[in-house]
Amino acid sequence: MSTVALEPLLHLCTRKPSFHTQTPILLRPFFLPTRSSNLNDASFIFCQPRRTLSPVPAASLTDTPTLQCPQTTTNTFAFNRTQMVTGKIFVRLDRGKDMKDWELMVGCSLPGKWVLHWGVTFLGDAGREWDQPPHDMIPPGSVPVKDYAVETPFKKSSLYAEGDTLHEVRIDIRAKNGISAIHFVLKDKEAGAWYKNETRDFVVSLVNYLYADSDASKIEPKRGFVFWPGNLWQIYNMFPKSKAGENESSEYRVSERENNQPKGFYEEVYVTKKVLVNNSISVSTKKCFESGSVKDLLYFETDLPGDVVIHWGVCTDASRRWEIPPPPYPPGTVAFKDKALRTQLRGIEPRDGGKVYSAEIAIEEGFTGFVFVLKQNENWFKYLGNDFYVPLSISGSLPSTGNKEDLKEGLQIEEPSQENYLFAFTDTIANEIKNIVKGNFYEKNQKIKSKKAQQSIFEEIERLAAEAYNIFRISIPTFFEPTTAKPEATIVVEPETTIMVPEASVESETISLDPKICSGTGTGYEILCQGFNWESHRCGRWYKELKEIASELASIGFTVVWLPPPTESVSPEGYMPKDLYNLNSRYGNIDELKDLVKSFHEVGIKALGDAVLNHRCAHYQNRNGVWNVFGGCLDWDDRAIVSDDPHFQGRGNKSSGDNFHAAPNIDHSQEFVRKDLKEWLCWLRWLCWRAKYRMPVPTLKEIGYDGWRLDFVRGFWGGYVKDYIEASEPYFSVGEYWDSLSYTYGETDHNQDAHRQRIVDWINATNGTSGAFDVTTKGILHTALEKCEYERLSDEKGKPPGVIGWWPSRAVTFIENHDTGSTQGHWRFPSGKEMQGYAYILTHPGTPSVFYDHIFSHYKAEITSLISLRKRNKIHCRSTVQISKAEKDVYAAIIDEKVAMKIGPGRFEPPSGSQKWSLAIEGKDYKIWEALLP
Amino acid sequence: MSAYIEVGFCNIKGSCRFSTAKICFAQNVTRKNHWTRFTFRAHQSEAVEHEKRFFSLPRPTSEDSVRLFVGLPQDAVSLGRNTINKTRAIVVGLKALKLLGVEGVELPIWWGIVEKDVMGKYDWSRYLAIAEMVQILGLRLHVTLCFHGSKAPNIPLPRWVSQIGESQPNNIFFTDRAGHHYKECLSLAVDHLPVLHGKTPVQVYHSFFESFKLSFSSFLSSTITGITIGLGPNGELRYPSHNQLPSNHKTKGVGEFQCYDQNMLNFLKKHADESGNPLWGLGGPHDAPTYDQSPNSNSFFKDGGSWESAYGDFFLSWYAEQLITHGESLLSLATSTFSDTGVHVYGKIPLEHCWYMTHSHPSELTAGFYNTIKRDGYEPVVKMFASNSCKMLLPGLDKSAACQPHEPLSSPEMLLEQIMETCRIHGVKVSGQNTSESGALGGFEQIKKILCADNVLDLFIYQRMGACFFSPKHFPSFTQFVRSLNPKELHSGDEKEVADSPTKNPESSVGLWPKPCLSSNGPMVLLSKVLNPYKYNSCDAEP
Repeated sequence: MSTVALEPLLHLCTRKPSFHTQTPILLRPFFLPTRSSNLNDASFIFCQPRRTLSPVPAASLTDTPTLQCPQTTTNTFAFNRTQMVTGKIFVRLDRGKDMKDWELMVGCSLPGKWVLHWGVTFLGDAGREWDQPPHDMIPPGSVPVKDYAVETPFKKSSLYAEGDTLHEVRIDIRAKNGISAIHFVLKDKEAGAWYKNETRDFVVSLVNYLYADSDASKIEPKRGFVFWPGNLWQIYNMFPKSKAGENESSEYRVSERENNQPKGFYEEVYVTKKVLVNNSISVSTKKCFESGSVKDLLYFETDLPGDVVIHWGVCTDASRRWEIPPPPYPPGTVAFKDKALRTQLRGIEPRDGGKVYSAEIAIEEGFTGFVFVLKQNENWFKYLGNDFYVPLSISGSLPSTGNKEDLKEGLQIEEPSQENYLFAFTDTIANEIKNIVKGNFYEKNQKIKSKKAQQSIFEEIERLAAEAYNIFRISIPTFFEPTTAKPEATIVVEPETTIMVPEASVESETISLDPKICSGTGTGYEILCQGFNWESHRCGRWYKELKEIASELASIGFTVVWLPPPTESVSPEGYMPKDLYNLNSRYGNIDELKDLVKSFHEVGIKALGDAVLNHRCAHYQNRNGVWNVFGGCLDWDDRAIVSDDPHFQGRGNKSSGDNFHAAPNIDHSQEFVRKDLKEWLCWLRWLCWRAKYRMPVPTLKEIGYDGWRLDFVRGFWGGYVKDYIEASEPYFSVGEYWDSLSYTYGETDHNQDAHRQRIVDWINATNGTSGAFDVTTKGILHTALEKCEYERLSDEKGKPPGVIGWWPSRAVTFIENHDTGSTQGHWRFPSGKEMQGYAYILTHPGTPSVFYDHIFSHYKAEITSLISLRKRNKIHCRSTVQISKAEKDVYAAIIDEKVAMKIGPGRFEPPSGSQKWSLAIEGKDYKIWEALLP
Repeated sequence: MSAYIEVGFCNIKGSCRFSTAKICFAQNVTRKNHWTRFTFRAHQSEAVEHEKRFFSLPRPTSEDSVRLFVGLPQDAVSLGRNTINKTRAIVVGLKALKLLGVEGVELPIWWGIVEKDVMGKYDWSRYLAIAEMVQILGLRLHVTLCFHGSKAPNIPLPRWVSQIGESQPNNIFFTDRAGHHYKECLSLAVDHLPVLHGKTPVQVYHSFFESFKLSFSSFLSSTITGITIGLGPNGELRYPSHNQLPSNHKTKGVGEFQCYDQNMLNFLKKHADESGNPLWGLGGPHDAPTYDQSPNSNSFFKDGGSWESAYGDFFLSWYAEQLITHGESLLSLATSTFSDTGVHVYGKIPLEHCWYMTHSHPSELTAGFYNTIKRDGYEPVVKMFASNSCKMLLPGLDKSAACQPHEPLSSPEMLLEQIMETCRIHGVKVSGQNTSESGALGGFEQIKKILCADNVLDLFIYQRMGACFFSPKHFPSFTQFVRSLNPKELHSGDEKEVADSPTKNPESSVGLWPKPCLSSNGPMVLLSKVLNPYKYNSCDAEP
C-alpha cells in the first residue's frame, strides 16, 4: 500500500527553471491514465522570484508618455500543486514463449521510478517467506537486497494495445528452480513510497501452474485460487485499517478477475498516487494614466486550471499588512470580510495553444506592494508559505533614472543573491517584529489591555522559549548507551502458566466509596466517549463542532472524552504524525484545541489526547534515499528508528513489539527518544509549562489534555509506557492493544484466555498505570450475538470472558471505534445488535467507552438511559458480576447486587428472593432491572 | 523592476549606519561603496528617526526599579566557525525576553575572537550582527569586553598573545609559588611593559577600545548602554588565586598568592628595598597554605598568624595595591575612551565569600583584597571606582550561606553587604549578577531579597541564556521572577508613539527598518534563513 506518499514527493520534486517573461510556460501534468483530482495540501518548492532585468516592451496596453517609468515588469512565481493520479498495477502470469516455462509480468501504469522489490519462496521451504531468487530468474539490471530480495527496476513498455502500460517487469520462471511463490512489493523510488500491504506482500503462488503437469502428488496442493485472490481482497480490505496515511488517496479495487483457468491469470489493482504539478503565475505591473490619476495596472496570468480566484489586497508599508484599496475594483470582484478582495480569473486561449487564466487589476498609485494568494476551488496556493507579493513602485519618489540604473546594475552584477537574502532577511524580521510588537501596542492602544491580551503575550513568550530551548538543547549531546533492558524477555509470558489476575486478589479489597484516582482507572466511575469518527477530519473544524456539543455530552453523563490525534499528520485522520509539536491538524489548530479542552473542562469532562507513539513519519531522506530522518522540533536521525524494519533502515535497537510497516517505528529503547517523548507528553498535558509550575495565571491552569489514548501500543514494550505515564501524570490513560483473537477453522474459540492474557500482560508491563481496550470482550460479543451463542459470555470460572473478567479496573470496554466501525468497518459490530452490546458494557465493570457514531444515532435515547442507570447505581470499574445465566440464547448477570441485566432472545427474570426488582430499561433483546430498596 | 530595486536601494541606505565599521564593505566593489557614501548623509537621519519611533526602547527606568538584563551565551560567537551559534535560538530567545519585559541583554565580546590572529586586526562582524538583532528587537545591550580566556566554552586568549606567552611564560602570565602559570589572562604586572610586540597591554587594550568604539558607534548609548571592562581572571578585578578548583565535594581552600612571575617578583623586590626590608622582597609568604587547604593548615592565615605581623601587612598591602593600580589603569582608560559616548563603564569585582567568618579572610587576601576583620579592604577599591565614575558589578547575588555546604565559614550575604555599604558611602552605583559559573540557575528568592532591600543597585544581569535557561524547569520560574520585579505591566514597548506611527507615506515605510550591513559576510546569509521562526499570516482566510 502506499505508505508515505505526500511528503516524499515534495522533497524529491526537481526544481525547474522558472524564468518567464510574458507568457508563462505551461507545465503540463504527467500523462494521467484516468481521473485526477486536487488534494487540499498544496505545497510549493520554488524559492526566488526571478526578475526580468531588461524592461519588457509594453504590450497592448496604452501608455501615457508623461510617465517616467513606462516599463512593464513581470514577476513569475512558480508553485506546485498536488494532484491525485490513479493508475493500475497489473499482475499477469503467462506461458513463456516456448510454452514450457512461465513468465510473470508486473506492470504499473503510473508515472514514477518504479522498482519491483521481490523475493521467492522455494518449495518445501516452510520457515522463510522471502529468499533471493535463483540467478537465472533475475532480470538484468537488478540489485540484490541482502540475501532475501531483489530490486528490479521497471522498464518502459508499450506492448499493450491500449498503450497505457508504462512500466513493467518480466520475470521468467522455470519449473526446475523449484519455486512455490513469488512475493513482491512495488516501490516508487521517486517518492520513496512503498506500495504494499500492511502486513502482507503481493504473493503469486506458482504451485498449481508450474507443477500441475509434473508430479503433482508430491506437492501439497494449495486450496483455492492460485494467485491467492484473497490477498488482493485483503489488500483492499486491510488497507484502510493500516492507517497508512493515504487512506483517502489510495484506493485499491480489484476491478476485474478475468480468469482463473490454469493457463495463467491476469489481475489489476487500482492504485492512486500523489503527483506534483508545477504551475506558475506571472504578474506584470505597469503604470498607466487613467481617469486623471496614475494607476498601477497588474496583469495576472496563470496556468492553474479551473475556477481560480485571486484573493488580494495591497500594502502601504514594508510590513505587508493586508489592506483594501479604495474602489473601483475590476468586474467580478467581491470583498471578503473587509480584509481582502476576490477577483475571478477568466480563461483565455492564447495563440500558441493551451489555456491560461488571466485577470487585470488596476489600483491607485501609492501602495508599496500588492499581496495575494490564489484559491482554486477549496485549495489555497501560497508562495513558499507566504503570500505572493508584488512590489509596486512610486513613480514620483524615485531618484533620478540614471542613478537608479546604476544601482540596478551594481546590485545585479555584484551580488544578486546576497541582495535577495538581504531583502528576505530585512523583510521577514521587520514583518515579524512589527507583528509582535505592534500587536501588543495595538491592544494597549485600544485600552483592552485585558487579561486576555496578557495571556496571548504569555503564550507567545512560551512558544518562543520552547523553541529556543529546543534549539539550545540539541547541541548538548546527552546520548546514553541504550540501557540493556530486555523487553522481549518480559513480553514473553507463557499465557497458560502465569495468568495474571491481580484484580481478584488485591482490588476487591480496595473497593471503597472513594477510590483514589489513578491513571489506569481515573476515579473508577469514568464513562468514556470517543469524540470522533473516521470522517471527522473532513469538516476541517471538528474541534469547533465538538465544542458545540460539549455540554450535551456532559448531560448524557460522559466524564471523559477521547479526542482525535492532534498533531500534524501525513494522513488527514492524524495517525501518521510527523512534527509532534505542530498541533495544527485537520481537526483544527492549537488554539481551537485549547479552547475545546477548556470547554470540556468547564462542563466537567476530562479530555484524552490520542498519542501516536509507535511510529512517526520522517521529514527527510537519508543518503540512501530512505525516509528516515526527522525534522521539526524533534529532529531525530535514524537511531530513533527500530532496526528490524528493512524499509526504513533504522539504526536503533530491535523493536520491542510488533512493527507497523507504513511508517518508521520509533525505537523507544533510546534514551533520547524517551526523553523527548516524555517532554512532548508533558507539553501536551499542560500545553503551557506555567500550569505545571503554577505560574500566576490561574485561568490557564486547566488547559491541556488530562490523559492519553495510546495508539498501537502493540508496537513497543509496555514498560516504556509506564515511563511515559509516570512522566506525564495523566488522569486517565488507555492503550490500544489490538491483535487477533484465537480462531480455529475460521471460528472464534470459546476460550480467548490467550488473547486477553496478552492484553493483561501489556497492562502489567505498564505497572497498571494504563488501562487497555478490552478487545477480547468485543470479539466474544461479536460471535455470541451474531451466532446466538450467549454461553460464550461466561468463561470456565463463571466470570466474564474478556479482560473485564481478569482485570476489570484496567479494561476499557467498547463495541466500536473509528477503525472497527465508522466508514472503515474493519471489524464491525453485528449490525442491529449494538444496543445489546451497550447493555452489556454499560452495566458491567470496566470503563465503558461509547462511540461517537452511536451516540448521535437513533440509539441515543437508549444509550443515555443506560448511562444514567449506570451512574444512578454507582456501577464502577471494579463492580462485581454474578453471572446468572449463560445459555445458547440468553445471558444474564447481576452486577453489584443492584442491577440485573439480560441480553439475547431467551427468557430471564431476576430471582425474586430477598430482593425486589423493577424493570428499568427494555429494548430489543435486552432488559435491565434495578433492585428496589427494601 | 523598479520596485525591487527601490527596496534594494533602501537596504543599502539602512546599512550606511555601519559604514564606520571598516570591514563592512571590505569585499564590496568600490563602486557600491562609493554610492553608499554618497547617500549616507542624505538619509541617515531619516532612518534613525523612524527607528526611534518604532523600536521603542523601553523608557528610561525610574530610579526605584532595577533594570534587568539577561546574558547571552558565552559562545554566541565562537572561535571556530564564522557564524553566530544557534542564531535562531538567540533570536527567538530575544523575542521571548522582549515580550517578557526584560530591558536588555549582556553580550560577552572576547579578545580572543575579535583580535584573534594579528595584533590590531579586529573582526567585529559577528558581534555587530548580534547588536543589530538586539537593536531590531528594541532591546538594550550591555557589552562585556573579555580580556581573559575561558575553558568552557573554549575561548583562549588571542593566538598571537598565546604565542608570546609560550615563548616567555614567566614574563606575562600570573604564576604561583610552585611555578604554575595561569594562561587565561595576562599578569597585571605587565600592564605597562612592552611585552606585546613592543606594545604594552594597556596600549593594546586601548586600541581595542577605540576600535570597538568606532565599530559600534551607531549603537553606543542608544542600544549599548553599558560596558563592563574585563579586569582580570574571569573578567574580575582579582588574582587567579583559586584557579585550581577543588575536586568535587571537597572544601574550598584559601587559594594561593600569585606573585611569582618575574615581573611581580621584581616589583616586590623593589618595593621591599624601598621600604628598608630587602629580605621581604624575595618572594611571597613562605607559610601560606596551598590552594585547597584550610586557613589553619599553615601559620600565615591563623588567628595571630603571620598576616597580622609587620611583614604580613607589608606584603598584603603591596599585593592589594598592585591590583588596585591595575584596575585604575584599565578603568581610567575605558572611562576616558567612552566618556563622550554616554555609555556607562562597569568593572567587576569578585565575591570571595569563602572564609569570610574567619579573622583573616584568607580567600579575599589571596584574591588581592586586603580585607580582614581589622580593616576594610574594599574602601580603596571603591574609591578607585568612584574616582573613575565607574559602576561596580558584583557577582553572586543568588548566593546565600545556607547554600554553601562546601564552603565553610563563608557568608556571601555579609560580604555583599559590606561592599555595598562601602559603595553607598562613596556614591558608587552597584550592579549585580548571579553566579554564572556555577551553571545552576535559580536562587531567585535570594536575588529578590537583595534587589528589593537595596536601592543602590541599578542593574541586574541574569546569567545566562541557554538550554537550561529556557528549559521547562527553569524558564517559568524566571518568568515569575521577572513579573514579580515589575508587576505593573507586561512590557513590550511604548504605546504612545505607535498610535501615530502607521503611516501612509510609502517612502517612510521603506526606510523603516535598519538593514544589516554584512552582505558580503556569512552571518547575514545565515540570519536570513533562520530569522523567520513564525509565519504571520496576514490573510485571515485560512487555507
